[in-house]
Amino acid sequence: MSEMLDKTEGIVKKAKSLGADEIIAKTTIAKYRQVRFSNNQIDITVAWNDYVTDIALAWKKRLVVTQIHEFTEADETLKQLLKLAKASEESPTFNGFAKGNFRYAKSKADREIENLENPTEYVFEAIEAAKKEIGPKIDSGGILFTKFEDVYLASSEGPTGTDGRSAIEFSIRAFSEREASGHGVECSSRLKDFKPSRAGTKAGEIAKLARNPTIGEEGAYDVIFDPLIFGSIISIWASMVSAYSIMTQMSVFIDKIGKKVAPEIVTLKDNPAPYSMSNRIFDDEGVPTRKNIFIDHGTLKTYLHNTSTAKIFKTETTGNAGLIAPGSWNVEMEPGDFHKEELFKEMKKGLYLTNTWYTRYQNYAKGDFSTIPRDGIFLVEKGEIKKSLKDLRISDNARTMLENITGISKERQHVHWWGEADPPSLSPYVLMKDVHLTKSK
Amino acid sequence: MDEDILDYTLKYAEKSKIEYGEVRGQSQTVERILLRNGKLEAYAVAEDSGFCIRIMADGGIGFASTNKWSRDEAKKIVDLALQYAKAAKRKEKLIFAKEKATKTKWAVDQKDKIENIPSEEKVEALAEVDKALASCNVKIAATMSSCSIDLITKYFVNSEGSQISSFVPRIGAYFFITVMEQGKTEQASEQFGYSGGWEALKQWNIKAKMVENAKVLKDVITKAQTVRPGKMDLVCGSEVTGIAAHESCGHPMEADRILGREMSQAGRSFVFKDGPFWTGTRIGSATVTIVDDPTIEHSYGYYPFDDEGVKARRRFLYKGGVINEFLHNRESAAKLGTRSNGSSRSMNYDREAIVRMANTFVLPGELSEEELIEDVKNGIYMKSFTEWNIDDKRFNQRYVGKEAYLIENGELKGPVARPVIETTTQKFWTSVDAVSNEVKFDAATCGKGDPSQGAPVYTGGPCLRLRGVFVK
Repeated sequence: MSEMLDKTEGIVKKAKSLGADEIIAKTTIAKYRQVRFSNNQIDITVAWNDYVTDIALAWKKRLVVTQIHEFTEADETLKQLLKLAKASEESPTFNGFAKGNFRYAKSKADREIENLENPTEYVFEAIEAAKKEIGPKIDSGGILFTKFEDVYLASSEGPTGTDGRSAIEFSIRAFSEREASGHGVECSSRLKDFKPSRAGTKAGEIAKLARNPTIGEEGAYDVIFDPLIFGSIISIWASMVSAYSIMTQMSVFIDKIGKKVAPEIVTLKDNPAPYSMSNRIFDDEGVPTRKNIFIDHGTLKTYLHNTSTAKIFKTETTGNAGLIAPGSWNVEMEPGDFHKEELFKEMKKGLYLTNTWYTRYQNYAKGDFSTIPRDGIFLVEKGEIKKSLKDLRISDNARTMLENITGISKERQHVHWWGEADPPSLSPYVLMKDVHLTKSK
Repeated sequence: MDEDILDYTLKYAEKSKIEYGEVRGQSQTVERILLRNGKLEAYAVAEDSGFCIRIMADGGIGFASTNKWSRDEAKKIVDLALQYAKAAKRKEKLIFAKEKATKTKWAVDQKDKIENIPSEEKVEALAEVDKALASCNVKIAATMSSCSIDLITKYFVNSEGSQISSFVPRIGAYFFITVMEQGKTEQASEQFGYSGGWEALKQWNIKAKMVENAKVLKDVITKAQTVRPGKMDLVCGSEVTGIAAHESCGHPMEADRILGREMSQAGRSFVFKDGPFWTGTRIGSATVTIVDDPTIEHSYGYYPFDDEGVKARRRFLYKGGVINEFLHNRESAAKLGTRSNGSSRSMNYDREAIVRMANTFVLPGELSEEELIEDVKNGIYMKSFTEWNIDDKRFNQRYVGKEAYLIENGELKGPVARPVIETTTQKFWTSVDAVSNEVKFDAATCGKGDPSQGAPVYTGGPCLRLRGVFVK
């Protein structure tokens, strides 16, 4: 394995000898596996073996980026890249890569996931769990995904390290009727914590409750968000605390550092911890990753930075570097004071939403957007589900919704789903007031 | 691309007992250019190359890919794909619709070869847009722009004797602007796309389009009135027509979605067997015909053969307001007892080919745009859109106007801010009483698949006139 790090360091040395000012090379040897199923049967099982070295090279503040797939191509590629840099222009954003020699935590990646070549039995197990809830008329579909990455990073500015990154994810949508469905996910970085039947049971429970839905009414509602849909909502705020989003006017948090943006009960942080599907011990500049509380008891404390954006904002990197822009790895909301059942009782009358998709903005700076709840949508009164609903849309504002959180559960779930609840998060049940829902006319 | 390894991979697969095998190699030269406020942030170049095998055995399908070009690696992925196909243990065995074997080569021409354009010229083409914006008398708070260039070479062989080589140069550009006037912001984006050479830049007229966007946003902040919600007539510009055709016709006509294969991600369709909508069911007025056509030369979604080697053709999805034909690959066609119509697309060597749109648009009518508007007493002209979405059965959709105007007694009046139509697919298309005579296209990236495969497409059509719809 150190041979791979040696080769990666070799790229860095070569680029320096050719005249590069700064360079980072990151080699990833990846194994991805996916089982896709629908109508309760497996449609296809897919394997990707990927070998790639990402290279970011700077010359007189010009930033150029490439990928190579064979180390034998490296010398020629570096020469071309340097030529491109010399024909390029100074980047107003690039302010150097992270400098220093860092000590990293030990990677806790799970090699059992790497060796899991045929995970189809997990799929059948989860379908059975959903079937127990719904009965034989179940129709279900979804994916099982595994990832194992060996990562070797070398930087001309000091950081050098290796990391293992593992993840396993199961996602199931189960239908009890044509328009009654539930969605469950199970996400982990370790095989021993992975219980896909939990996702099957959850999807089945929601689908069973969702039978015979009627079209909901427009209005402003108190809403309880399930962890899965709240994972989608959290991802909105997480993308908006990237310093790059601030610089490009794609955030409701512009000029809000030190200001109240949410109620006291809200604390949000980024944390690519070992349990997370986004586990990593260093970022793309080789800076050790860490917990970053960005909203602390309602107050916006920081944006997420790489070295370049940190210099622009006169602060320090938060260990969130991508090769060009910083981003969130894994978002956690601090648990609240309510048990899940208490939260439902707290809401006198309102909606329980379980999943959403297709979130689109009119204006990121203002935060106006809409998104379409799917799967179970329920009218709840005094803690009891009274009715299954359908065909409603959240048409609201990202800043207002954050301000309107009134209750958070103690229970949290690690969730990720497709591109909709991404990045992964540790998400609770959340009660929010005055959420605007609209429908077709 | 080492075609020998690809041929070897297929031969090695055929040594095992398989029902079908196909090998697809793809090599692409990739360039990405990113600017912020007219200044270059980063320039990325790369060569991406690899191949995949898809095997059908025991009625199941296995797929494996690699970017290591060696015979050993080829054997590994074949063995893996075969193992996966057999492990599916399907009760209903999969089959593919029959197609004749094809041996051909095709390529898209470039007038101005991208390979000959210096990197500085490519950057300057984007930077010039910011210079134009800086002098258009609108306060621009921020811009982001990017250009993507892909020179894609593919080689496809299957166990039925098909062998197809292709080359497509594809250019895309994206602009996002934030206008700030009177302390308020408005934002807009535009996407451009073309299959061909650098001549695309001359055709796109990006500077004029983005300056027009900036002025529209300024008017939205400084002059626009809000809509008094109610039933009224709505004239949709071609951009709005195009997104509606894509979202509420193209997507629900995807046969894999109809059959449930995308149920847990992109969802299903309001069209399903023994449901209220199927082929032959009316979904719109007689004036509405929507097609999907991959064969439009130099379009963003152009291809003459799909990624299963099937010859592409125009598909009439809604014909005279009636559901007419679904988009099929060989798997979905076999399930519904028909033939593939060449709708199978994959975005790279490591992604399976799935049912996709290419260029989806409404066919034109006979009236001019002015004639459509002249016959509206009270209504809105929604020329372009900003926020939009649709539910996962493709029935409840929403389009929010970007550039929009009030219509009074057949005349365009002042701008209106963010008018919204939120309605069903059936209501939208049955409300159309006239379409204009000029089709325009916009480039878009269609999202589908897990992992996601963003597919280059055109959306488009003429202007539409909808009678008596609720606008707020």
